[in-house]
Amino acid sequence: MNRDFDVCVIGSGAGGGPVALTLAEAGYSVVVLEKGPWFREQDFFKDEIACCRRSTYTPNLLDERHVLERPDGDGGWQAESTFDSGWDWWNGNCVGGATNFMSGFFHRMKPDDFRLLSAFGPVAGANIADWPISYDEMEPWYDLVERRVGVSGKIVDHPRQEPRSSAGFPYPPTVEHPISGWIDRACRDLGYIPLPAPRAILSLPAMGRDACLYTNYCGSYGCSTGAKGSARAALLDHAVRTGRCEIRARCMASRILSDARGNLEALEYLETNGTRRRLDAKIYVVACQAIETARLLLMSTGPKYPDGLANKNGQVGRNLIFSAGGSGAGDIVYPGLDPKLVDLLDVRGLFVNRALQDWYFYPDPKTGQRRKGGTVEFLFRHANAISRAVAQKWDSSGDLVWGKPLKDRIKSYFASGRHLRFEVFNDWTPVDDCFVSLDPVEKDKWGMPVARIRLGYHPRDLEVGRFLARKGAEVLERLGAENVSWSVSGSPPPNLVAGGCRFGTDPKTSVLDPDCRAHGLENLYVTDGSCMPTGGSVPYTWTIYANAFRVAHRILDALGGAACARS
Amino acid sequence: MKRRAFLKAGSLAAFSPALASAHAAGTGAERPLSGRALKRTQWSIIEAVQDHLLPSESDAPGSRDVNATAYLDRTLADPKFDPDVKGFILKGIGWLEEISQQEEGQSFAEVEPAKREDLLRRIADSGVGERWLSTLITYCLEAMLADPLYGGNPGGVGWKWLEHDPGKPRPTPDKIYGRLGKA
Repeated sequence: MNRDFDVCVIGSGAGGGPVALTLAEAGYSVVVLEKGPWFREQDFFKDEIACCRRSTYTPNLLDERHVLERPDGDGGWQAESTFDSGWDWWNGNCVGGATNFMSGFFHRMKPDDFRLLSAFGPVAGANIADWPISYDEMEPWYDLVERRVGVSGKIVDHPRQEPRSSAGFPYPPTVEHPISGWIDRACRDLGYIPLPAPRAILSLPAMGRDACLYTNYCGSYGCSTGAKGSARAALLDHAVRTGRCEIRARCMASRILSDARGNLEALEYLETNGTRRRLDAKIYVVACQAIETARLLLMSTGPKYPDGLANKNGQVGRNLIFSAGGSGAGDIVYPGLDPKLVDLLDVRGLFVNRALQDWYFYPDPKTGQRRKGGTVEFLFRHANAISRAVAQKWDSSGDLVWGKPLKDRIKSYFASGRHLRFEVFNDWTPVDDCFVSLDPVEKDKWGMPVARIRLGYHPRDLEVGRFLARKGAEVLERLGAENVSWSVSGSPPPNLVAGGCRFGTDPKTSVLDPDCRAHGLENLYVTDGSCMPTGGSVPYTWTIYANAFRVAHRILDALGGAACARS
Repeated sequence: MKRRAFLKAGSLAAFSPALASAHAAGTGAERPLSGRALKRTQWSIIEAVQDHLLPSESDAPGSRDVNATAYLDRTLADPKFDPDVKGFILKGIGWLEEISQQEEGQSFAEVEPAKREDLLRRIADSGVGERWLSTLITYCLEAMLADPLYGGNPGGVGWKWLEHDPGKPRPTPDKIYGRLGKA
């Protein structure tokens, strides 16, 4: 049958980019739908208002929002929209998705992360499951990401180092700040092994992209040189250059249509002005980030799919996961330090690039049993001026400060030293009470139901998070930081989200098969982080990229292999 | 109280329970518009509040030096600005003015600085009043530290005060928030 495209990819982020590139390079026609606009390098500036204080790269909450269900403290759930709470849950909605705005802390999952249930046994009240594939099956794809997306870093020998097929990273580490040496010394004094953290940031120009310029505004900002390995700069720009990949920006997928026999007929989508259009393809690939992927499948009802696509067993949206943990901070105070040291510390724009994985697995302090821990990552407080100044308006007792006292607080905060932070990443244990559904009331500006997310978590996540946060705080204190504090909570980071469409071998408990193809639907794939039954104790982006490359090659097999000759 | 409820359900009584009176002062006729979102009387009152919240000093800029009122006016005129936040800011001006007239017999814009402090302290005792002041401080600090293309921070005076390096590349007028990404 004649179709508009061989492959239709819905979503242009970490899950969509590898599929579009792989199939376009292999000679297939690909269309990528992205609900947001298409920004280029020359559209990205160090503009805190555009970046971080208004909705520029994400929908305005007046138009599109989420509804969050949180524990009401009485055993029930209380729902509130993000428009009402002001807690924005959108990540990047533009070509390249949230990868445009990531910090690019890149870590692989470890072999035991793929078999958490087998390695550590079940946890009461949790739905932990092994992945249907092993680390060994994923390794070549992690390796491919290092080269195609561009990962910089340095391998050091340490007990948690996962097996690698390449000796080192293809790019040397980004230039590091003198504070990294302080962290190294403090860690070694304490008997810990500081790791140079790999980054998806080019330290050298390559692949038509410029190297990092160290302008001190990386995370949350779009990269103006292309050094950051966004799906846009690293993958989609190359896919478009093949001449076989078309990107349709500002096109919001509304439904995947199916006929009376259950076959997928077309994708229905909406242009900005509300015009409803359709296109069809041999294969449909959904990669809208976990929450919106579940939402699209749930909205895609049809004669054979009254509860949504791939949802025969009610699994779509279940077992949503985030990154658990928290963060801590401490001040390196200038007064009293050698002025030469202050000059060194005051250098801006260089990277900290230090992580600890000493407790990625660790013996339980009470039982001695080996258990799953996580990662501690060190970084400077973000350079954003407005957010740092605004934070000074509340004093330590929570009272509002204004007038000269406020100005003095701000001046002192900016002048008195550096503010070092750490972030804790540990497993978000999958539970029944963390899932996506369609909100029965709230609609987006097109009249479609918005995603409603229940945010339950397992108490064990806080216990592990606190254990790790104490280690991070110990390092900050050891290197001489003052005012060291940390917090761990069950409040999830909306930018570190996965799950919702588990992959597995049993259609009763999973949505996708091990190739990330929907059980029972031969031409529907999901290639974002939705497939992940568990997430490891690291940011997800590298794993999402790697898995999307893996699945892209399964799709290539399904289409009959490379087709370059015919194009 | 939840955030949205704060923004929508405020009243003079919620703003300052101690000062609210059953007697509602007449608002009188408004003079002609002088801003995009702020009326002229609102402009002078908010200017006085901002001046008090972030005062000018000989060696450090304040609200007046960074065009904080014009910045706020422009911010409130953004069609994508949350209408409830806008309404809350504007209602708060009315409440403060009512209290000022009642307590001091004159507009907040005319009240001497020590009395201004007293009035603001008293409204900060209520959750609604504190939230109103807190919101205004946020936009004063945006005016102080946002790129000058947004109308505040002339010549980067706020950055200079804090020896802050805003990074490069700097935005161009055609690609700031409100213009970038418009189809």
